[in-house]
Amino acid sequence: MTVGLTRSEHGSYDLDELMIIEAARHIRNGDVVMVGTGLPMVATTLAMKTHAPELVAVIESGPIDPVIMQTPISVSDPRAMHEAARLGSLREVLGCVLQRGLVDIGFIGGAQIDQFGNINSTVIGDYRSPKVRLPGSGGANDIACHARRLLIIVSHEKRRFPLKCDYVTSPGYLNGPGARQRAGLKVLTPTITVVTNLVVMETDAETGLFCVTKLMPGVDLDAVYGNTGFRPGVASALEEVAPPSDRDLETLREEVDPDGVYVKRGKSH
Amino acid sequence: MGLREAVGRFVFDGAVVGLGGQNIGRCAMATVHEIIRQGKRDLTLVGCNLSISMDLLVGADLVRRCEGGSGNLERFGSTFCWRRKVQSGEIEMEDFSHLGMVSRFLAGEMGLPFMPTKSLLGSDILVHKAPSTVKKYEIIENPWNPGEAVVLLPALNPDVSIIHVQKSDSMGNVIIGGFTTHEPEMVRASRNTIVTCEEIIESRQIRSDPERTTLPHIYISAVVHQPWGAHPTSTYRYYDFDAEHLRFYQECARAGGEQVKAYLDRFVFGSESFQDYLEKVGGKERLLQLEKAMKRLCASKGENP
Repeated sequence: MTVGLTRSEHGSYDLDELMIIEAARHIRNGDVVMVGTGLPMVATTLAMKTHAPELVAVIESGPIDPVIMQTPISVSDPRAMHEAARLGSLREVLGCVLQRGLVDIGFIGGAQIDQFGNINSTVIGDYRSPKVRLPGSGGANDIACHARRLLIIVSHEKRRFPLKCDYVTSPGYLNGPGARQRAGLKVLTPTITVVTNLVVMETDAETGLFCVTKLMPGVDLDAVYGNTGFRPGVASALEEVAPPSDRDLETLREEVDPDGVYVKRGKSH
Repeated sequence: MGLREAVGRFVFDGAVVGLGGQNIGRCAMATVHEIIRQGKRDLTLVGCNLSISMDLLVGADLVRRCEGGSGNLERFGSTFCWRRKVQSGEIEMEDFSHLGMVSRFLAGEMGLPFMPTKSLLGSDILVHKAPSTVKKYEIIENPWNPGEAVVLLPALNPDVSIIHVQKSDSMGNVIIGGFTTHEPEMVRASRNTIVTCEEIIESRQIRSDPERTTLPHIYISAVVHQPWGAHPTSTYRYYDFDAEHLRFYQECARAGGEQVKAYLDRFVFGSESFQDYLEKVGGKERLLQLEKAMKRLCASKGENP
């Protein structure tokens, strides 16, 4: 379960908001971003409206470089199609942009993420007699195979971070260093970054294992260990996630998520 | 040809059916309703994202197997009938990625036996297969780069695909607006395709501007004029998705059993045609709201709807 950090401990914002804002910071202006549904779409919309107006979003249903005004709720939402450079096809986006090697950041969620950054979005339990059948890969496997940088945003719960995924839908470092090369993948040492409401973790290209690089304000390493099914390393220069700027918060609340669909509005604002 | 005749002619028991649309956009719902009314069974449903069109067919007990990249309605949740029956083993799901599926259609549309991809490598998608799949994939060594693994995926040629589009002329020259997802490849790979469309336009209009034709008539078996044929999913430049009805369907699908049956009885079996269904979901008044919502979206960007 998520560590309960109340809004009041952080004054005017909460960590779900800062999670989205911090994830958005990982997108650089001009990056080609292959973006999935849900929180990745929210954070990408925020980035586009703040520090990265020239980010090039590509969306698997076909839109290439749309202007995103309202946050799309789906990769097939008409809100993902406005003023695009092209409305193409899934093959163009996943094949001719992503597999072709033109994506800087793949941005997705996932039900389980393990110590090597492998992602499961297919099944909880045994594949043949599943406890819970999840949607499946969608474009996530393709994104994890071909993006040079992989950005994952999820809220931090222990069950989401097992030592080993029940099913590897999308490859991280598989079972360790060198495994991607042995499997035949083209991108050998992707940078995999996970942003949660507790922590920012990044894979180490040498070991393939996650390392804590930043802690959310008010969160300590014990809270991370207590809510993670594996023991991540700790970066030598461990930082605290910078608090949100007024502009970030305002844009998130008023333009990106005005109805509180993604971040439940609490009492403090 | 009407939808009843088209489905009667081109969809058969045991058919491999390609589903157009994605998530909450342009699913061929009118055709799905007709397939359910005609009780075509033992279907194999294929596509990239399999959404409400798939879930309704599964809920009606007409499906044996699915092959695709995902089953869900995104923000509106899982495809619950599908999830339940995959979990209980009543239907089988063969998993690929979306690029994997479109690569299979790409092989199919070009008359090739298989297509290589560099996706899937190292993942469990290559470890597990559905029980009735004979051979899901092959890994070969790149003949031009010894030692490099390449995945080959088998061509997929559906017996019939069903898509809902914005415009077509009466002979089946189709213009798709907005995203086209996997439809161009899937349709060109299919033995037959049933198209429903918002508008039938004059052939001379198509032929005066033929570079805008998404799919020429040689791939299309039947065209049926069916406005609102994607409801409750959206059709770009025509109407937004119907969140209220989607949520209602999801409640029924999640509950399963009697509630799915009641949904089908009321909206599908209890409707002579898709027109009847549209009356039941709120008729003109509701549909105009969805049309207006889409117009607002397009106008906010200075687009001509």
